[in-house]
Amino acid sequence: MTKRQGRLFFIICTFLTAAAFIGMTIHSHSRFAELTNEDKLTPAVISGKDIWHKNNCINCHTLLGEGGYYAPDLTKITQQRGTPYLTAFLKDPSQFYSEEKHRRLMPNPNLGDTEISDVIAFLDWVSHIDNQGWPPRPIIVSGTTIPGTDVGQPATQASVSSDPVAQGEALFRSSPPACNACHSVVPGTNLAGPTLAGLVTRATAIIASPEYKGEAKTPAEYIRESITHPSAYLVPGAMYSANNQSFMPDNFITDLEPGQIDSLVAYLETLK
Amino acid sequence: MRYRSQSVAYWYFAVAMCLFGLQLVFGLLSASKYLGPDPLLDFLPFDKTKAIHTNLLIVWVLTGFMGATYYVVPEESRGEIYSIKLAYAQLVAWTLMGVTAIVGYMFGWTAGNKMLEQPFPLKIVIVVVMLMFLFNILMTIKRAGRWTVTEGVLVAGLVLAAVLYLPALIEYDNYTVSIFYRWWTIHLWVEGVWEMIQGGLLAYLLIRLSGADREVMEKWLYVIVGLVFLAGILGTAHHYYWVGVPYYWLPIGGLFSALEPLALLGMAMYAYFAMRRSGLSHPNSLAVHWTIGSAVFTVFGAGLLGFAHTWPSVNKWTHGTLVTAMHGHGAFYGAYAMIVMAIISYTLPSLTENRKVEGNNIGYWAFWMQVMGMFGMTLSFGTAGIGQVYLERILGLGYLDTQLKLQVHFLMLIATASVFAIGAAFFIWDFFRNAPKSISDSRISEFGPVIDSNNGGLLYQKR
Repeated sequence: MTKRQGRLFFIICTFLTAAAFIGMTIHSHSRFAELTNEDKLTPAVISGKDIWHKNNCINCHTLLGEGGYYAPDLTKITQQRGTPYLTAFLKDPSQFYSEEKHRRLMPNPNLGDTEISDVIAFLDWVSHIDNQGWPPRPIIVSGTTIPGTDVGQPATQASVSSDPVAQGEALFRSSPPACNACHSVVPGTNLAGPTLAGLVTRATAIIASPEYKGEAKTPAEYIRESITHPSAYLVPGAMYSANNQSFMPDNFITDLEPGQIDSLVAYLETLK
Repeated sequence: MRYRSQSVAYWYFAVAMCLFGLQLVFGLLSASKYLGPDPLLDFLPFDKTKAIHTNLLIVWVLTGFMGATYYVVPEESRGEIYSIKLAYAQLVAWTLMGVTAIVGYMFGWTAGNKMLEQPFPLKIVIVVVMLMFLFNILMTIKRAGRWTVTEGVLVAGLVLAAVLYLPALIEYDNYTVSIFYRWWTIHLWVEGVWEMIQGGLLAYLLIRLSGADREVMEKWLYVIVGLVFLAGILGTAHHYYWVGVPYYWLPIGGLFSALEPLALLGMAMYAYFAMRRSGLSHPNSLAVHWTIGSAVFTVFGAGLLGFAHTWPSVNKWTHGTLVTAMHGHGAFYGAYAMIVMAIISYTLPSLTENRKVEGNNIGYWAFWMQVMGMFGMTLSFGTAGIGQVYLERILGLGYLDTQLKLQVHFLMLIATASVFAIGAAFFIWDFFRNAPKSISDSRISEFGPVIDSNNGGLLYQKR
């Protein structure tokens, strides 16, 4: 090979791949609107994106898997946590996680109410981007979807927090026996008990359905009833009940304080 | 040093070394936050230290590239730099920009786009500085009326690096589009034109250090840069897999980024055979260590570790974990940090007073401790990343609970990073302990950068 041929190789490689790259870029632009739901790109979403940038969130968290690897991925977070939960969390993250236990904690971003709802709108928009089905299975923030794995939170942090939702979440992982030993809050991940993701939406549908024979009128009442009287309504499936008897223990009504049940309901009510 | 104006390079290298030291301070600080709890949580949380760590890397490596260019171009084009004053003004503006950015990040002044955190006014300063730099270099070449392929590749790489920064100036409402063009800057820099710069510097060093035939070296330089672009341009696709683009980016990205190690392997073979065939040994064997080291570590850090998680069906599970940090550290260090230290090691005997050409013990300790330290750091990130993928992504353990189980890897990271930092401190100390030659005093040699008053102009020794 001569130097001239070497140069020719360089020019041809560069030209061909650059042309293909630009061609694919142009084509991708014709698809972005559909893949990313550009029609749902509201001013609130755009403002949320600006707040996301301004607070340098990307240098700890990852979004669409890109970022700092130091804090949880938030691509699908709005599908795992409802707006009331995320709002309460963003107001004061230290109410929800303990730096002593997890060795890292999110500093308080000091956002106003509108800023918080904009960020949540932005994250919700991101969660609906058609991104080839990534992540292949849910990435959860804490706890586990592995039955029998004890990584539950100690109840101590609940005593620090005054927020009923935060207390309820702590209880969810620690009340004897821990709810998360059988229930995940991840969509589609059913353990010994059904997933509680989207609980409020399903509760509303269940109350309205003819199969429902219980006494609840609202999702909150339904959730309370499910804790105190697990067999009042049986979620279909041979793995959850037999002989009109739910497999869920029925001792929570006696083992939990009324206030604790209130907290659990407050927390579970945030799972939209 | 054949041309007085080449001494400008010293001050660029000096700034680069200061920023390199500072980068490691913020790196160690970030690493310690993995162990937690963090006493600086409210003043200097991880997001700030990490942004400063990565930005310092980009700034010091670019400073090193600029210094190297001011050294290489006069020699290749055989003429003094067009304007020394402009070169110094550029360095001052660049340094001020860098320092302002770092202080700004500490107080929350950021654009918050990963690696492109520079606020808009600073981005404009960066563009202006790049224009000053390119003007000065191109005018130097024009006035000399002569250019070589080696410097052509180097300068073309720098021109393209400036051009590719332009998409970073635009803001997009659509986050996916924003990510799409962010990689035009970051990916096409580090897996495209920066490798072109590395190739140019490598060719320059190999021609000088091995006495290899320029025609042969430049012919293969074309081939290597051709391979870099063949794989690297479409390899951008490996950043697009999961961000909301059409499906075809997945197979394209898998195929072309799997080819990327080929170009890097070519670069390592290029260096190895140049040294073997020439049969000459340059007295500056420390510079030889860094040059060959850069070519070899690039194959490991950029090639092998990149290849490990680039295939879509693997990346699906590893994306966004510490596996990426493993590759990032190995790649940036081998390809860019090491090539800058190679050119510094090569030029230092001619830029500073009373320095032995063949290097000294501190120099070798600096080399080996850095290489070993960085190797250990990639292992720490790699093992942590594999653990994370398995526990969090496959088994479904929560993110926070998984990180708690990785503590031992973070301890390993801090231990190996400390070895690395000591090696880097040796290098920086060795750099500063001899004063620079003043321009009026510098003895100008006709025989290249080796100045040894005892044996006159003897450049190469027969092996």
